[in-house]
Amino acid sequence: MKYNNGVYSLTLKTQLFQYHEKNSHLVDFADFKMPLWYEGVGPECLAVRNSVGIFDISHMGRTFVSGPDAEAFLNYVTTNNVTTLRSNHAQYTLLCNSEGGIKDDLVIFKLGDNQYLVVFNAGNREKDFTWIQKNSKDYKVELKEASNETAMISIQGPKALATVQKLTTTNLSETIRFDCMFAKVSEKECILSRTGYTGEDGVEISVMNASVNDPSKALELWEDILKAGKDYEIKPCGLGARDVLRLEAGMCLYGNDITESTNPLEARLSFVVKVDKGDFIGKEAIIRKKEDGIKIKRVGLRVIGKGIPRAKCKIIKNSENIGTVTSGTYSPLLNLGIAMGYVPIEYSNEGNKVSIEVHGKLIDAEIVGVPFYDPKIYGVKRSS
Amino acid sequence: MKIEDYEVPEGLYYSKDHEWLKVERDVCRIGVTDYAQKSLHEIVFVDLPKCNIDVTSKQPLGTVESVKAVSDYFAPIGGKIIEVNDVLSNKPDLINMSPYDEGWIAVIKPENLEEIKVLMDSTKYAELLKSIIKN
Repeated sequence: MKYNNGVYSLTLKTQLFQYHEKNSHLVDFADFKMPLWYEGVGPECLAVRNSVGIFDISHMGRTFVSGPDAEAFLNYVTTNNVTTLRSNHAQYTLLCNSEGGIKDDLVIFKLGDNQYLVVFNAGNREKDFTWIQKNSKDYKVELKEASNETAMISIQGPKALATVQKLTTTNLSETIRFDCMFAKVSEKECILSRTGYTGEDGVEISVMNASVNDPSKALELWEDILKAGKDYEIKPCGLGARDVLRLEAGMCLYGNDITESTNPLEARLSFVVKVDKGDFIGKEAIIRKKEDGIKIKRVGLRVIGKGIPRAKCKIIKNSENIGTVTSGTYSPLLNLGIAMGYVPIEYSNEGNKVSIEVHGKLIDAEIVGVPFYDPKIYGVKRSS
Repeated sequence: MKIEDYEVPEGLYYSKDHEWLKVERDVCRIGVTDYAQKSLHEIVFVDLPKCNIDVTSKQPLGTVESVKAVSDYFAPIGGKIIEVNDVLSNKPDLINMSPYDEGWIAVIKPENLEEIKVLMDSTKYAELLKSIIKN
Protein backbone atom coordinates (compact mmCIF):
# COMPACT_ATOMS: atom_id res chain seq x y z
CA MET A 1 0.00 0.00 0.00
CA LYS A 2 1.24 3.45 -0.88
CA TYR A 3 0.55 6.79 0.73
CA ASN A 4 -0.79 9.30 -1.78
CA ASN A 5 -3.48 11.94 -1.87
CA GLY A 6 -4.01 11.67 1.87
CA VAL A 7 -4.94 7.99 1.76
CA TYR A 8 -3.27 4.62 1.50
CA SER A 9 -4.16 2.97 -1.77
CA LEU A 10 -2.91 0.37 -4.21
CA THR A 11 -2.62 2.77 -7.10
CA LEU A 12 -1.04 6.18 -7.13
CA LYS A 13 -2.07 9.11 -9.24
CA THR A 14 0.06 11.98 -10.47
CA GLN A 15 -0.91 15.64 -10.34
CA LEU A 16 -2.13 15.34 -13.94
CA PHE A 17 -4.38 12.31 -13.44
CA GLN A 18 -7.52 14.36 -14.01
CA TYR A 19 -6.33 15.11 -17.55
CA HIS A 20 -5.23 11.53 -18.27
CA GLU A 21 -8.50 10.06 -17.03
CA LYS A 22 -10.46 12.24 -19.41
CA ASN A 23 -8.19 11.98 -22.44
CA SER A 24 -6.16 8.78 -22.44
CA HIS A 25 -6.24 5.02 -22.35
CA LEU A 26 -4.86 4.30 -18.86
CA VAL A 27 -2.39 1.62 -17.80
CA ASP A 28 -0.97 0.47 -14.46
CA PHE A 29 2.72 1.26 -14.27
CA ALA A 30 4.94 1.09 -11.17
CA ASP A 31 1.93 1.48 -8.81
CA PHE A 32 0.63 4.44 -10.85
CA LYS A 33 -2.38 4.86 -13.10
CA MET A 34 -0.67 6.42 -16.11
CA PRO A 35 -1.65 7.26 -19.69
CA LEU A 36 -0.64 4.51 -22.14
CA TRP A 37 -1.74 6.55 -25.14
CA TYR A 38 -4.06 9.45 -26.01
CA GLU A 39 -4.47 9.45 -29.78
CA GLY A 40 -2.29 6.41 -30.39
CA VAL A 41 1.31 5.29 -29.88
CA GLY A 42 2.20 5.73 -33.56
CA PRO A 43 1.09 9.35 -34.08
CA GLU A 44 2.49 10.33 -30.66
CA CYS A 45 5.94 8.93 -31.53
CA LEU A 46 5.94 10.72 -34.87
CA ALA A 47 4.88 14.00 -33.26
CA VAL A 48 8.00 13.88 -31.08
CA ARG A 49 10.35 12.97 -33.95
CA ASN A 50 8.88 15.58 -36.31
CA SER A 51 7.65 18.39 -34.06
CA VAL A 52 6.84 18.21 -30.34
CA GLY A 53 5.15 16.04 -27.71
CA ILE A 54 4.42 16.48 -24.01
CA PHE A 55 4.67 13.77 -21.34
CA ASP A 56 3.66 13.58 -17.69
CA ILE A 57 6.69 12.19 -15.86
CA SER A 58 5.56 13.16 -12.36
CA HIS A 59 5.63 9.46 -11.43
CA MET A 60 9.43 9.60 -11.36
CA GLY A 61 11.18 9.95 -8.00
CA ARG A 62 12.65 13.30 -6.99
CA THR A 63 14.93 13.83 -4.00
CA PHE A 64 16.77 17.02 -3.06
CA VAL A 65 20.26 16.44 -1.65
CA SER A 66 21.99 19.30 0.15
CA GLY A 67 24.47 19.96 2.94
CA PRO A 68 28.25 20.41 3.23
CA ASP A 69 28.96 16.78 2.20
CA ALA A 70 26.40 16.57 -0.63
CA GLU A 71 29.02 16.32 -3.38
CA ALA A 72 31.14 13.76 -1.51
CA PHE A 73 28.05 11.74 -0.64
CA LEU A 74 26.75 11.63 -4.23
CA ASN A 75 30.23 10.68 -5.41
CA TYR A 76 30.10 7.73 -3.00
CA VAL A 77 26.65 6.41 -3.96
CA THR A 78 26.77 7.02 -7.73
CA THR A 79 29.24 5.98 -10.44
CA ASN A 80 29.74 9.18 -12.43
CA ASN A 81 32.03 11.98 -11.23
CA VAL A 82 29.96 14.57 -9.36
CA THR A 83 33.06 16.76 -8.79
CA THR A 84 33.29 17.54 -12.51
CA LEU A 85 29.59 18.45 -12.63
CA ARG A 86 29.26 22.25 -12.73
CA SER A 87 26.36 24.24 -11.30
CA ASN A 88 23.33 24.52 -13.59
CA HIS A 89 24.21 21.29 -15.33
CA ALA A 90 22.98 17.71 -15.08
CA GLN A 91 24.57 14.30 -15.51
CA TYR A 92 23.36 10.79 -16.27
CA THR A 93 24.68 8.31 -13.73
CA LEU A 94 24.11 4.96 -12.02
CA LEU A 95 23.39 3.75 -8.53
CA CYS A 96 25.17 0.41 -8.05
CA ASN A 97 25.10 -2.25 -5.35
CA SER A 98 28.35 -3.50 -3.78
CA GLU A 99 28.53 -6.31 -6.40
CA GLY A 100 28.55 -3.68 -9.13
CA GLY A 101 24.99 -4.50 -10.22
CA ILE A 102 22.80 -1.58 -11.26
CA LYS A 103 20.25 -0.47 -8.65
CA ASP A 104 18.96 2.30 -10.91
CA ASP A 105 19.95 4.74 -13.62
CA LEU A 106 19.30 8.37 -12.73
CA VAL A 107 19.98 11.99 -13.50
CA ILE A 108 21.62 14.37 -11.01
CA PHE A 109 20.91 18.08 -11.44
CA LYS A 110 23.41 20.44 -9.80
CA LEU A 111 21.43 23.52 -8.75
CA GLY A 112 24.23 25.21 -6.78
CA ASP A 113 27.16 24.40 -4.49
CA ASN A 114 26.21 21.26 -2.55
CA GLN A 115 22.66 21.57 -3.80
CA TYR A 116 21.35 18.78 -6.02
CA LEU A 117 18.15 17.27 -7.33
CA VAL A 118 18.30 13.54 -7.99
CA VAL A 119 15.69 11.99 -10.30
CA PHE A 120 14.99 8.23 -10.03
CA ASN A 121 12.86 5.79 -12.01
CA ALA A 122 9.25 5.55 -10.84
CA GLY A 123 9.49 1.88 -9.96
CA ASN A 124 12.55 2.51 -7.78
CA ARG A 125 11.33 5.50 -5.76
CA GLU A 126 11.22 3.78 -2.40
CA LYS A 127 14.10 1.39 -3.03
CA ASP A 128 16.46 4.19 -4.06
CA PHE A 129 15.51 6.59 -1.30
CA THR A 130 15.93 3.87 1.36
CA TRP A 131 19.30 2.92 -0.17
CA ILE A 132 20.79 6.41 -0.31
CA GLN A 133 19.43 7.22 3.14
CA LYS A 134 21.04 4.08 4.55
CA ASN A 135 24.36 5.06 2.97
CA SER A 136 24.23 8.70 4.10
CA LYS A 137 25.01 8.06 7.80
CA ASP A 138 28.66 9.18 7.59
CA TYR A 139 27.89 12.32 5.59
CA LYS A 140 26.57 15.73 6.59
CA VAL A 141 23.70 15.77 4.11
CA GLU A 142 20.01 16.46 4.11
CA LEU A 143 17.80 14.28 1.90
CA LYS A 144 14.41 15.65 1.06
CA GLU A 145 12.02 13.30 -0.74
CA ALA A 146 9.98 15.64 -2.93
CA SER A 147 8.18 13.34 -5.37
CA ASN A 148 4.70 14.08 -4.03
CA GLU A 149 5.38 17.82 -3.66
CA THR A 150 6.64 18.45 -7.19
CA ALA A 151 5.23 17.57 -10.61
CA MET A 152 7.36 16.84 -13.67
CA ILE A 153 6.50 17.48 -17.30
CA SER A 154 8.67 16.62 -20.30
CA ILE A 155 8.45 18.44 -23.63
CA GLN A 156 10.36 16.66 -26.39
CA GLY A 157 11.04 17.10 -30.08
CA PRO A 158 12.61 19.59 -32.52
CA LYS A 159 9.95 22.19 -31.61
CA ALA A 160 10.17 21.61 -27.82
CA LEU A 161 12.41 24.59 -27.06
CA ALA A 162 10.34 26.94 -29.21
CA THR A 163 7.22 25.77 -27.37
CA VAL A 164 8.61 26.29 -23.86
CA GLN A 165 10.29 29.58 -24.82
CA LYS A 166 6.84 31.12 -25.21
CA LEU A 167 6.24 30.58 -21.49
CA THR A 168 9.54 31.70 -19.95
CA THR A 169 11.92 34.66 -20.01
CA THR A 170 14.91 32.35 -19.51
CA ASN A 171 16.68 32.36 -22.87
CA LEU A 172 16.75 28.72 -23.90
CA SER A 173 18.95 29.40 -26.93
CA GLU A 174 21.74 30.26 -24.48
CA THR A 175 21.54 26.82 -22.89
CA ILE A 176 23.17 23.57 -24.00
CA ARG A 177 22.07 19.95 -23.58
CA PHE A 178 21.95 18.91 -19.90
CA ASP A 179 21.89 22.49 -18.61
CA CYS A 180 19.45 23.03 -15.75
CA MET A 181 18.32 26.07 -13.78
CA PHE A 182 15.64 27.55 -11.58
CA ALA A 183 13.23 29.41 -13.85
CA LYS A 184 9.71 30.72 -13.99
CA VAL A 185 7.59 28.93 -16.55
CA SER A 186 4.11 30.33 -16.97
CA GLU A 187 4.62 32.30 -13.74
CA LYS A 188 5.35 29.09 -11.82
CA GLU A 189 8.56 28.31 -9.92
CA CYS A 190 10.23 25.46 -11.74
CA ILE A 191 13.48 23.67 -12.34
CA LEU A 192 13.99 23.62 -16.07
CA SER A 193 16.45 21.23 -17.71
CA ARG A 194 17.42 20.39 -21.26
CA THR A 195 17.08 16.68 -20.72
CA GLY A 196 14.82 13.86 -21.82
CA TYR A 197 14.34 10.20 -22.67
CA THR A 198 13.51 10.25 -26.37
CA GLY A 199 16.78 10.96 -28.18
CA GLU A 200 15.33 14.32 -29.23
CA ASP A 201 16.22 17.72 -27.86
CA GLY A 202 13.75 18.86 -25.24
CA VAL A 203 13.01 20.25 -21.85
CA GLU A 204 11.97 18.67 -18.56
CA ILE A 205 10.19 20.91 -16.09
CA SER A 206 9.98 20.12 -12.39
CA VAL A 207 7.17 22.22 -10.94
CA MET A 208 7.88 23.32 -7.38
CA ASN A 209 5.24 23.27 -4.63
CA ALA A 210 2.82 21.33 -6.79
CA SER A 211 1.51 18.74 -4.38
CA VAL A 212 -0.57 15.76 -5.48
CA ASN A 213 -3.16 17.08 -3.01
CA ASP A 214 -3.44 20.32 -4.96
CA PRO A 215 -2.89 19.51 -8.64
CA SER A 216 -4.17 22.83 -10.04
CA LYS A 217 -0.72 24.31 -10.64
CA ALA A 218 0.53 21.31 -12.61
CA LEU A 219 -2.72 21.06 -14.58
CA GLU A 220 -2.52 24.76 -15.48
CA LEU A 221 1.05 24.44 -16.70
CA TRP A 222 0.15 21.33 -18.72
CA GLU A 223 -2.67 23.22 -20.46
CA ASP A 224 -0.43 26.27 -21.00
CA ILE A 225 2.18 24.12 -22.72
CA LEU A 226 -0.47 22.49 -24.92
CA LYS A 227 -1.60 25.98 -25.93
CA ALA A 228 1.98 27.19 -26.53
CA GLY A 229 2.64 24.20 -28.77
CA LYS A 230 -0.60 24.43 -30.69
CA ASP A 231 1.03 25.95 -33.80
CA TYR A 232 3.44 22.99 -33.84
CA GLU A 233 0.58 20.50 -33.45
CA ILE A 234 1.88 19.39 -30.07
CA LYS A 235 0.50 16.03 -28.92
CA PRO A 236 0.14 14.67 -25.39
CA CYS A 237 2.12 11.42 -25.32
CA GLY A 238 1.67 8.37 -23.12
CA LEU A 239 4.01 5.75 -21.73
CA GLY A 240 3.60 3.70 -24.92
CA ALA A 241 5.27 6.40 -27.00
CA ARG A 242 7.80 7.08 -24.24
CA ASP A 243 8.95 3.46 -24.32
CA VAL A 244 9.14 3.27 -28.12
CA LEU A 245 11.03 6.58 -28.37
CA ARG A 246 13.65 5.65 -25.78
CA LEU A 247 14.17 2.27 -27.46
CA GLU A 248 14.53 3.89 -30.90
CA ALA A 249 17.20 6.08 -29.29
CA GLY A 250 18.94 3.03 -27.79
CA MET A 251 18.36 4.05 -24.17
CA CYS A 252 17.97 1.49 -21.36
CA LEU A 253 14.77 0.86 -19.44
CA TYR A 254 15.44 -0.05 -15.83
CA GLY A 255 13.96 -3.42 -14.93
CA ASN A 256 14.20 -4.63 -18.54
CA ASP A 257 17.60 -3.77 -20.02
CA ILE A 258 19.41 -3.16 -16.75
CA THR A 259 18.77 -4.77 -13.34
CA GLU A 260 20.53 -5.41 -10.03
CA SER A 261 22.40 -8.28 -11.70
CA THR A 262 23.56 -6.27 -14.73
CA ASN A 263 27.10 -4.95 -14.69
CA PRO A 264 27.48 -1.45 -16.25
CA LEU A 265 30.26 -2.74 -18.53
CA GLU A 266 27.97 -5.41 -20.00
CA ALA A 267 25.25 -2.78 -20.42
CA ARG A 268 27.76 -0.54 -22.27
CA LEU A 269 27.30 2.20 -19.69
CA SER A 270 30.98 2.45 -18.71
CA PHE A 271 30.97 6.07 -19.95
CA VAL A 272 29.22 7.00 -16.70
CA VAL A 273 31.44 4.84 -14.46
CA LYS A 274 34.49 6.83 -13.34
CA VAL A 275 36.73 4.30 -11.57
CA ASP A 276 39.49 6.91 -11.09
CA LYS A 277 37.37 9.29 -8.98
CA GLY A 278 37.79 7.80 -5.48
CA ASP A 279 35.73 5.23 -3.62
CA PHE A 280 32.11 4.51 -4.54
CA ILE A 281 29.71 1.65 -3.96
CA GLY A 282 30.35 -1.13 -6.46
CA LYS A 283 33.76 0.20 -7.56
CA GLU A 284 35.82 -2.86 -6.60
CA ALA A 285 33.40 -5.27 -8.23
CA ILE A 286 33.32 -3.23 -11.45
CA ILE A 287 37.13 -3.04 -11.58
CA ARG A 288 37.33 -6.81 -11.01
CA LYS A 289 34.85 -7.36 -13.83
CA LYS A 290 36.93 -5.13 -16.08
CA GLU A 291 40.08 -7.12 -15.33
CA ASP A 292 38.35 -10.48 -15.82
CA GLY A 293 36.74 -9.23 -19.01
CA ILE A 294 33.04 -9.24 -19.76
CA LYS A 295 31.47 -12.18 -21.59
CA ILE A 296 28.21 -10.65 -22.79
CA LYS A 297 27.12 -7.21 -23.87
CA ARG A 298 24.03 -5.20 -24.76
CA VAL A 299 23.34 -4.84 -28.48
CA GLY A 300 20.71 -3.35 -30.77
CA LEU A 301 18.72 -5.78 -32.93
CA ARG A 302 16.89 -4.80 -36.11
CA VAL A 303 14.40 -7.22 -37.61
CA ILE A 304 14.90 -8.18 -41.25
CA GLY A 305 11.42 -8.60 -42.70
CA LYS A 306 8.28 -8.90 -40.59
CA GLY A 307 7.69 -9.64 -36.92
CA ILE A 308 8.03 -7.81 -33.62
CA PRO A 309 10.46 -9.10 -31.01
CA ARG A 310 9.37 -8.64 -27.39
CA ALA A 311 11.17 -8.80 -24.02
CA LYS A 312 12.18 -12.36 -23.02
CA CYS A 313 12.32 -13.68 -26.61
CA LYS A 314 15.31 -15.96 -27.18
CA ILE A 315 18.18 -14.88 -29.44
CA ILE A 316 19.35 -17.83 -31.56
CA LYS A 317 22.55 -18.42 -33.56
CA ASN A 318 23.30 -21.74 -35.27
CA SER A 319 20.32 -23.37 -33.47
CA GLU A 320 21.80 -22.36 -30.12
CA ASN A 321 20.19 -20.00 -27.60
CA ILE A 322 22.86 -17.32 -27.22
CA GLY A 323 20.92 -14.59 -25.42
CA THR A 324 17.67 -12.88 -24.54
CA VAL A 325 15.79 -9.85 -25.77
CA THR A 326 15.36 -7.34 -22.92
CA SER A 327 13.21 -4.77 -24.80
CA GLY A 328 11.44 -5.06 -28.12
CA THR A 329 8.82 -3.12 -30.00
CA TYR A 330 7.55 -2.02 -33.37
CA SER A 331 9.03 1.31 -34.46
CA PRO A 332 6.39 3.50 -36.12
CA LEU A 333 9.22 5.70 -37.43
CA LEU A 334 11.15 2.90 -39.12
CA ASN A 335 8.14 0.67 -39.75
CA LEU A 336 9.89 -2.46 -38.45
CA GLY A 337 10.63 -4.44 -35.31
CA ILE A 338 13.53 -3.26 -33.13
CA ALA A 339 14.97 -4.68 -29.92
CA MET A 340 17.79 -4.69 -27.43
CA GLY A 341 19.28 -7.72 -25.77
CA TYR A 342 22.43 -9.33 -24.46
CA VAL A 343 24.63 -11.65 -26.54
CA PRO A 344 28.13 -13.13 -26.02
CA ILE A 345 30.94 -10.76 -27.06
CA GLU A 346 31.90 -13.01 -30.00
CA TYR A 347 28.46 -12.44 -31.60
CA SER A 348 28.13 -8.77 -30.70
CA ASN A 349 29.66 -7.15 -33.80
CA GLU A 350 27.39 -4.91 -35.85
CA GLY A 351 26.25 -6.61 -39.02
CA ASN A 352 26.08 -10.08 -37.45
CA LYS A 353 22.92 -11.98 -38.31
CA VAL A 354 20.95 -13.81 -35.63
CA SER A 355 17.44 -15.21 -35.25
CA ILE A 356 14.89 -14.26 -32.61
CA GLU A 357 12.27 -16.73 -31.47
CA VAL A 358 8.94 -14.88 -31.50
CA HIS A 359 5.80 -16.86 -30.54
CA GLY A 360 7.54 -20.10 -31.47
CA LYS A 361 8.72 -18.88 -34.88
CA LEU A 362 12.21 -17.77 -35.86
CA ILE A 363 12.60 -14.33 -37.41
CA ASP A 364 15.84 -12.92 -38.82
CA ALA A 365 17.54 -9.95 -37.23
CA GLU A 366 20.77 -8.03 -37.56
CA ILE A 367 22.94 -6.68 -34.78
CA VAL A 368 23.10 -2.91 -35.20
CA GLY A 369 24.39 0.18 -33.46
CA VAL A 370 22.07 2.63 -31.75
CA PRO A 371 20.20 4.90 -32.18
CA PHE A 372 18.13 2.85 -34.60
CA TYR A 373 17.21 5.94 -36.63
CA ASP A 374 19.57 7.96 -38.81
CA PRO A 375 21.12 10.53 -36.38
CA LYS A 376 21.59 12.97 -39.25
CA ILE A 377 17.80 13.12 -39.72
CA TYR A 378 16.39 12.55 -36.21
CA GLY A 379 17.51 13.10 -32.63
CA VAL A 380 19.65 15.71 -30.86
CA LYS A 381 22.41 15.58 -33.47
CA ARG A 382 20.10 16.07 -36.46
CA SER A 383 21.59 18.41 -39.02
CA SER A 384 18.44 20.46 -39.67
CA MET B 1 -26.26 -3.94 -33.71
CA LYS B 2 -23.98 -1.70 -31.70
CA ILE B 3 -22.91 -2.14 -28.09
CA GLU B 4 -21.45 1.20 -26.97
CA ASP B 5 -18.65 1.76 -29.48
CA TYR B 6 -18.54 -1.81 -30.71
CA GLU B 7 -20.17 -3.16 -33.87
CA VAL B 8 -21.71 -6.63 -33.56
CA PRO B 9 -23.10 -7.60 -36.97
CA GLU B 10 -25.99 -10.04 -37.00
CA GLY B 11 -25.68 -13.33 -38.82
CA LEU B 12 -22.12 -14.00 -37.65
CA TYR B 13 -20.96 -16.45 -34.99
CA TYR B 14 -18.68 -15.35 -32.18
CA SER B 15 -16.16 -16.95 -29.79
CA LYS B 16 -15.50 -15.77 -26.25
CA ASP B 17 -11.96 -14.88 -27.41
CA HIS B 18 -13.49 -12.28 -29.73
CA GLU B 19 -13.13 -14.05 -33.06
CA TRP B 20 -15.99 -13.94 -35.55
CA LEU B 21 -17.02 -16.64 -38.03
CA LYS B 22 -19.16 -16.23 -41.11
CA VAL B 23 -20.64 -19.27 -42.84
CA GLU B 24 -20.28 -18.99 -46.63
CA ARG B 25 -21.88 -22.07 -48.18
CA ASP B 26 -19.62 -24.92 -46.97
CA VAL B 27 -16.69 -22.81 -45.75
CA CYS B 28 -16.17 -20.38 -42.85
CA ARG B 29 -14.48 -17.00 -43.07
CA ILE B 30 -12.91 -15.86 -39.78
CA GLY B 31 -11.47 -12.72 -38.24
CA VAL B 32 -11.32 -10.76 -35.01
CA THR B 33 -14.18 -8.60 -33.74
CA ASP B 34 -14.54 -4.84 -33.56
CA TYR B 35 -14.10 -5.10 -29.79
CA ALA B 36 -10.80 -7.01 -30.27
CA GLN B 37 -9.40 -4.49 -32.75
CA LYS B 38 -10.44 -1.50 -30.63
CA SER B 39 -8.85 -3.03 -27.53
CA LEU B 40 -5.56 -3.51 -29.39
CA HIS B 41 -5.85 -0.12 -31.11
CA GLU B 42 -3.26 0.50 -33.87
CA ILE B 43 -2.57 -2.94 -35.33
CA VAL B 44 0.92 -3.03 -36.82
CA PHE B 45 1.50 -6.75 -37.40
CA VAL B 46 -0.54 -9.88 -38.06
CA ASP B 47 1.10 -13.27 -37.81
CA LEU B 48 -0.94 -15.24 -40.37
CA PRO B 49 -1.48 -19.01 -40.33
CA LYS B 50 -0.21 -21.18 -43.20
CA CYS B 51 -2.54 -22.30 -45.93
CA ASN B 52 -3.50 -25.98 -46.29
CA ILE B 53 -2.90 -26.92 -42.68
CA ASP B 54 -5.39 -28.77 -40.51
CA VAL B 55 -6.45 -27.01 -37.33
CA THR B 56 -8.66 -27.95 -34.42
CA SER B 57 -11.12 -25.64 -32.76
CA LYS B 58 -9.48 -23.29 -30.18
CA GLN B 59 -6.02 -23.93 -31.63
CA PRO B 60 -3.90 -20.74 -31.63
CA LEU B 61 -3.50 -19.61 -35.24
CA GLY B 62 -1.27 -16.60 -34.80
CA THR B 63 -1.02 -13.18 -33.22
CA VAL B 64 -2.45 -9.75 -33.87
CA GLU B 65 -0.11 -7.08 -32.56
CA SER B 66 -0.21 -3.37 -31.83
CA VAL B 67 2.89 -1.36 -30.95
CA LYS B 68 2.66 -2.28 -27.28
CA ALA B 69 0.37 -5.33 -27.16
CA VAL B 70 0.20 -8.86 -28.50
CA SER B 71 -3.01 -10.87 -28.74
CA ASP B 72 -3.31 -14.52 -29.78
CA TYR B 73 -6.24 -15.50 -31.96
CA PHE B 74 -7.71 -18.98 -32.14
CA ALA B 75 -9.52 -21.14 -34.66
CA PRO B 76 -13.23 -20.80 -33.85
CA ILE B 77 -13.84 -24.09 -35.70
CA GLY B 78 -11.74 -27.11 -36.71
CA GLY B 79 -10.90 -27.96 -40.33
CA LYS B 80 -8.44 -27.07 -43.08
CA ILE B 81 -7.24 -23.54 -43.72
CA ILE B 82 -7.88 -23.03 -47.41
CA GLU B 83 -7.21 -19.31 -47.76
CA VAL B 84 -5.44 -16.57 -45.78
CA ASN B 85 -5.72 -12.83 -46.22
CA ASP B 86 -2.17 -12.08 -47.39
CA VAL B 87 -3.04 -8.39 -47.85
CA LEU B 88 -2.77 -8.12 -44.04
CA SER B 89 1.01 -8.71 -44.14
CA ASN B 90 1.46 -5.31 -45.74
CA LYS B 91 -1.70 -3.64 -44.48
CA PRO B 92 -2.34 -5.02 -40.96
CA ASP B 93 -4.41 -1.95 -40.06
CA LEU B 94 -7.16 -3.24 -42.38
CA ILE B 95 -8.31 -5.04 -39.23
CA ASN B 96 -8.75 -1.65 -37.53
CA MET B 97 -10.49 -0.12 -40.49
CA SER B 98 -12.70 -3.02 -41.49
CA PRO B 99 -12.66 -5.86 -38.94
CA TYR B 100 -15.62 -7.78 -40.41
CA ASP B 101 -14.90 -7.25 -44.08
CA GLU B 102 -11.52 -6.37 -45.60
CA GLY B 103 -9.77 -7.31 -42.35
CA TRP B 104 -10.77 -11.00 -42.50
CA ILE B 105 -7.91 -13.34 -41.54
CA ALA B 106 -8.56 -16.80 -43.02
CA VAL B 107 -11.06 -19.17 -44.59
CA ILE B 108 -11.50 -22.60 -42.98
CA LYS B 109 -13.16 -25.60 -44.60
CA PRO B 110 -14.72 -27.11 -41.50
CA GLU B 111 -14.33 -30.74 -40.61
CA ASN B 112 -17.73 -30.62 -38.92
CA LEU B 113 -19.92 -27.55 -39.39
CA GLU B 114 -21.96 -28.63 -36.34
CA GLU B 115 -19.13 -27.16 -34.23
CA ILE B 116 -20.58 -23.68 -34.76
CA LYS B 117 -23.21 -24.62 -32.18
CA VAL B 118 -20.72 -23.97 -29.38
CA LEU B 119 -20.20 -20.41 -30.67
CA MET B 120 -22.38 -17.42 -29.74
CA ASP B 121 -24.81 -15.65 -32.00
CA SER B 122 -24.78 -11.84 -32.15
CA THR B 123 -27.31 -11.51 -29.30
CA LYS B 124 -25.27 -13.70 -26.94
CA TYR B 125 -22.00 -12.00 -27.92
CA ALA B 126 -23.59 -8.59 -27.33
CA GLU B 127 -24.46 -9.75 -23.80
CA LEU B 128 -20.86 -10.86 -23.26
CA LEU B 129 -19.60 -7.43 -24.37
CA LYS B 130 -22.05 -5.67 -22.07
CA SER B 131 -20.79 -7.66 -19.10
CA ILE B 132 -17.15 -6.95 -20.06
CA ILE B 133 -17.79 -3.22 -20.41
CA LYS B 134 -19.59 -3.08 -17.07
CA ASN B 135 -16.59 -4.50 -15.22
